[in-house]
Amino acid sequence: MLLALRRWLGLSASVVAEADGGVDRKSQKWVIEPARVGLIARAEELWRYRRILWFFASRRIKERYEDATLGRFWMFVQPLAPILISTLIFGSMLEVPSDGIPYFLFILTGSSCWRIFDRGVQRVTRSLDQNRSLIKKVYFPRLIAPISSVAPALTEFGVLFTLLVATCIYYFVKDGIFYLRLGPQLLVAVLAVAMAAFLSVSVGLWTSVMQIRHKDVQFSIRYFMQLWYYVTPVIFPLSELLKMLPPELHFVPYLNPMSPVVEMYKWGVLGIGHVSGVGVLVGVLMTLAIFGSGVVYFNRSEAASVDRL
Amino acid sequence: MDSLVAEGLGKCYVLSREEGKSSRSLWRRLRAAPRGDADPASKTREFWALRDVGFRVESGTILGVIGPNGAGKTTLLKILARVITPTTGRVVGVGRVVSLLELGAGFDPDLPAHDNILMNAAILGIPRLEAQRRIKEILEFAEVEQFVGSPLRHYSSGMYLRLAFSVAIHMNPQILLADEILAVGDQAFQERCLQKVVELGRDGLTVLFVSHDMDAIMRICNRVMWLHQGAIRKLGDPEEVVDEYQNAIWSQADIAQSERGRRANRFAEVLSVRLVSSSGKDIGGAPVSEDVFIKTRFRTSKPSLSVKCALDLSTKGQLIFRTADTEARPLPQPGIYEALAKIPRDLLAELPYVATVGCIFKRDNETKEYPLLMYNALSFLVYGTETPETPTSGRLDRVGFIAPRLEWTVRQEAYAAGA
Repeated sequence: MLLALRRWLGLSASVVAEADGGVDRKSQKWVIEPARVGLIARAEELWRYRRILWFFASRRIKERYEDATLGRFWMFVQPLAPILISTLIFGSMLEVPSDGIPYFLFILTGSSCWRIFDRGVQRVTRSLDQNRSLIKKVYFPRLIAPISSVAPALTEFGVLFTLLVATCIYYFVKDGIFYLRLGPQLLVAVLAVAMAAFLSVSVGLWTSVMQIRHKDVQFSIRYFMQLWYYVTPVIFPLSELLKMLPPELHFVPYLNPMSPVVEMYKWGVLGIGHVSGVGVLVGVLMTLAIFGSGVVYFNRSEAASVDRL
Repeated sequence: MDSLVAEGLGKCYVLSREEGKSSRSLWRRLRAAPRGDADPASKTREFWALRDVGFRVESGTILGVIGPNGAGKTTLLKILARVITPTTGRVVGVGRVVSLLELGAGFDPDLPAHDNILMNAAILGIPRLEAQRRIKEILEFAEVEQFVGSPLRHYSSGMYLRLAFSVAIHMNPQILLADEILAVGDQAFQERCLQKVVELGRDGLTVLFVSHDMDAIMRICNRVMWLHQGAIRKLGDPEEVVDEYQNAIWSQADIAQSERGRRANRFAEVLSVRLVSSSGKDIGGAPVSEDVFIKTRFRTSKPSLSVKCALDLSTKGQLIFRTADTEARPLPQPGIYEALAKIPRDLLAELPYVATVGCIFKRDNETKEYPLLMYNALSFLVYGTETPETPTSGRLDRVGFIAPRLEWTVRQEAYAAGA
């Protein structure tokens, strides 16, 4: 998938390169002012600099796996360990229902989607700090730093998805049931993955800027994310939660924009879950609101943030 | 044609004294954050790193930027490179700006040269094809062709610099910002860089070149800006500005350290302090095995004066000795005089030394003294002339802040012989 992404970025880059080869950039005039750059100008700039995204993203991914002495083994164990523990506690001991799917597979599916968001937010939060040396010396649109930092979260997802497929094969061999849904529904899962990544960047736009001012954000975000994890239907099906709530409170789970994303993902991959059009719509709108305000906030505090780094 | 016009440029930093204490409510801090101002509750102090700086640079100008540490040189370059946003003022420029603010900024040490060039190009907003076309040229100029495949972390700092400089100048910039980094390379490469800069300047490249190396500034710049405490002190002809700057460093050091210390008073003015050889020629370094002289030239404006000169010699921040003339010397007529202090051969070690020179003037019928004092007026290197037979022989014989050659004798004691 990453290779495809690279090819796409590389390809589109060279196409553009040929296109603006004819434009005379020599006489291009520029102005530096204290005034903030508008959002549209920022977006244009981001597009011009899009090629750095790949370099930044690959750097982040490399960093992620560089210092792990156990290498590939670690890649699988690290995300798997909390899932196994949860399976033991919630699946075996508490016997949380799982929409008729083996609990391990159920939580693995939910976790793989959740983890994009979880790791994404934590990485994006640190992104400005991590790129400090570069940000203080070279100019590039600062938005690139948070956006590129989601990349390792996506590779971790890749790892979990591999495990997911392996688990499905295991159950197929063992019970003769192939839980994975191969078909156009998988596109819904892909969409959910994109939404999870997008939401993590949106939240990260806020937290990364706050993190510069208050180092404690980095630590508190971890606990905040844990809390968020338990209100998202990962360890339990949304349908069970809805059963427990009185009908007039059914809107409550949808205040969490990650709920419809995880449900969409589970539906796309396993064909379970509770996907409602209204829920998805509310989730998308909330995500867009967080993203929009995050971009404005990020853009507004950009200059002050760089001074503080 | 103006390639860069800056007006009223200023950069203000708010220094917070309570950084790190988080007793105030997060909410108040959050509200303060997006406006970019300081926390409302904390005591803050403003610091203007740059204030009201305005200048025009015509294209093809190589503008040297000089000034003491903390004068705002780097701040100015960072604003021009868009790394930081100015607080006041504006800059209008034409064409692509390429900056070399720090060695290796924008390089990924894990990637080989080829990928780094492409990444750098991307950071500069240069189309991939354009960058790819130039890779060969870049590697050639940087002299790193045989290391193309190895990741940058295996590069020496010199190779790093060569690659960085090479990438910068081959990206077809209209404005090049170089901050002090050329000091890293070896002599030959520095020379090549400076030549290249001069050459590109002739083709219309505008260069802002920050350096403490006045020699390089004088050689390649056709204009010099002297920044002092965030403002332009002087902007103009290199020779003039550099001269005045160097003079000011002396007098400023005097004022800072001693109210007695100054370069001129109402009787006399010190013109220069130089190191000369026994034949009277100005020299930059002193050979260990030759006598050298510290020559202080001064002009007196009143008759019937006398002067007593003194000298502090220090190395590595350590005062090695202070020595003064044995008596006051008469200066009957107003005019230009030179005082020579002989440093005998085989006294100093092979080290860089710094001399502080003092001249104490007296009127013939007064007892009051009028001293002139120049801190760090002269620095020079003492170097060895004999090549030792083995690398360590000779070198180990005389070690320390000074290395005098003493007279040694060894003889057998008469009474001991028969005992």
